[in-house]
Amino acid sequence: MRARLHSRWLVMGATIAGIFAAVIVILLIGGYDTSRALAALWDGAFGSSYAVLSATLVRATPLLFVGLAVGLAFRAGVLNIGAEGQLLAGATAAVAVGLAVGALPRVLALPLALGAGAAAGAAWSGIAGWLKLRFGVLEVISTLMLNFIATYLVSWLVRGPLQEPTRVYPQTIELSPAVQMPLLLTGHRVHLGLVLAIGLAGFTWWVLTQTAIGFRVRAVGAGAAAARSAGGIDPARTTALVFLASGALAGLGGASEATGVTFALYEGISPGYGYSAIAVALLARLHPLMIIVSALLFGALEAGAAAMQRDANVPSVLAAVVEAMIVLGVLAFNHARTRGRQA
Amino acid sequence: MLFLRRLLAPLLVFNISVGIFGACASPKDAGKSAAAAFSVALLTPGSISDQSWNGGAYDGLLRIRDSLGADISHIQTKTPAEFEENFRQYGAKGYSLVFGHGFEFQDAAARVGPSFPNTVYVTTGGTRTSANVSAMSFAFEQPSFLAGVVAASVSQSGIIGCIGGTELPPVKAGFASFAQGVHFVNPNAKVVTAYIGNWDDAGAGKEQALAQVARGVDVIYQNADAAGLGIFQAAKDSKRVYVIGSNSNQNGVAPNVTLGSVVIDLPAAFMSMAREVKSGQFTPRVHVLDTRSGVMKWIVNPALRSAIPTRALQVVDSLEQHMRAGTFTPPAATGTR
Repeated sequence: MRARLHSRWLVMGATIAGIFAAVIVILLIGGYDTSRALAALWDGAFGSSYAVLSATLVRATPLLFVGLAVGLAFRAGVLNIGAEGQLLAGATAAVAVGLAVGALPRVLALPLALGAGAAAGAAWSGIAGWLKLRFGVLEVISTLMLNFIATYLVSWLVRGPLQEPTRVYPQTIELSPAVQMPLLLTGHRVHLGLVLAIGLAGFTWWVLTQTAIGFRVRAVGAGAAAARSAGGIDPARTTALVFLASGALAGLGGASEATGVTFALYEGISPGYGYSAIAVALLARLHPLMIIVSALLFGALEAGAAAMQRDANVPSVLAAVVEAMIVLGVLAFNHARTRGRQA
Repeated sequence: MLFLRRLLAPLLVFNISVGIFGACASPKDAGKSAAAAFSVALLTPGSISDQSWNGGAYDGLLRIRDSLGADISHIQTKTPAEFEENFRQYGAKGYSLVFGHGFEFQDAAARVGPSFPNTVYVTTGGTRTSANVSAMSFAFEQPSFLAGVVAASVSQSGIIGCIGGTELPPVKAGFASFAQGVHFVNPNAKVVTAYIGNWDDAGAGKEQALAQVARGVDVIYQNADAAGLGIFQAAKDSKRVYVIGSNSNQNGVAPNVTLGSVVIDLPAAFMSMAREVKSGQFTPRVHVLDTRSGVMKWIVNPALRSAIPTRALQVVDSLEQHMRAGTFTPPAATGTR
């Protein structure tokens, strides 16, 4: 275990070095002022308490939730690439319930909204789980398709049943303070969702490594047939559980974003956190505690990329390019390792 | 809860010390950032290469730099969370004026405004105002009506198309008024409306346009920013199909198929806001910008002027004069962008 954790840090370190190299190469190709852009990147991610507490950590929070969701699913061999849709389902449910219970005290209203978000996320991935277990539909396809359905469902809801009362803008009204996440520090944007997400990372790690359920999840992920015949494990039950838990984590991420950052439902509430989550989980090699680190790294990258555009005029889509390169890099690295082991 | 507070206490101290340290350090970099200088930032919801809504705003920002000597900064933002993050970042850096380019920025501006009282936030569209938050509202429906008159006069099939990015209130209001203009000339004309579903997929824009052409549409009024560039392409590929541009003067995008453009003189609008802030005369309000203020215009493409019946041009001129004088307002519901 110790050696494996060690190798995880190694991969992480190598990847960070790779990110920097990639950013520099792209900047050079684009003909940008590299030193100024890198200074802006650093400044926007870690340069001030403001950057850390109002940008990096705020962006890392949803990435941590969805990263855990994807990481947990992948551990069990469930290729859930629908975290985006589950996040949207969670945000939608949290806002819908939040608007209904806004008059209640916060200790009741906020947990209700968050619970609704988790439940909706679980239900959304549950559809894909049911399709897989009942009809053998590949979850790679069903979860991806459900992303589009969720996106358009949100578009419809904010123009229909959930639209603000003047019926001019495609969005809901703002959630009442009772349904807004408490801020961790006044004057900064980082909110309680971060603490919740870190807690869930610890909890997921504990379940995976210390409990019988976690053992079953890992066994099914390592080989469903072997888990059934040698371990007497029911892979279908474990798979169903993982679908629901993964969806709940992503849904909670959406609920946290809606109650902690946007305070209303809009189209485009997520800039693709559910897709970035795959990179977050892979970079951490699916280890729940390492996902905290990689979510922070990606949060910093996105916050820094925004600063690069503000201060050095470098398009912030650079971050998306770098994320894609990380996914490819990690996959290539894993592939090389498994081939090495087989030889 | 206690452990949480204990956990956060060092962070708080760190935060305060950075704050003090930051305050001491600020004179050093006063030259490059804010404080005394006039600095203006722009948040756009899409790419500034769209030659339309976002490109026009960026032109405005450049003009503010060139005419008023301002330091400028621009960022493209996607989500409401990013709107707020960047509003705050600019506020923290002491920018004098920050534009959020669209009604969708209004909630974020209202939320951030009180935290940075020395920064003025202006949203192009929207209705929310507070001590340092204003909105600009464009009477998009006025020149849209004139475009409708021209479209109906040029169309031979009597079927006219509208293609928008997504169903935003100002876009819908513009199309509604355009349809009124069409029916003003030809009560029997048919107006078909489609939305691409986004503002940046030129391929999807082209598909929508070709689908409309297949239904007999021969004039398309487009309001789809970067996705709209595909609509010009579709018109070029089809026979005798015309496009009407919007937001910026798009007559040069495809001079052979563009009848004219419904133009928001965004640079003029941005300049007037910047002057107001720079001179210290800022007062929070909704600035309504219309044909009368010269910000909203219908501009005919000179290269295709001959394709428009002379009678139609005369009607448009006289309607425009009435609009300027305030004696004629299109009957459509007033929209804001």
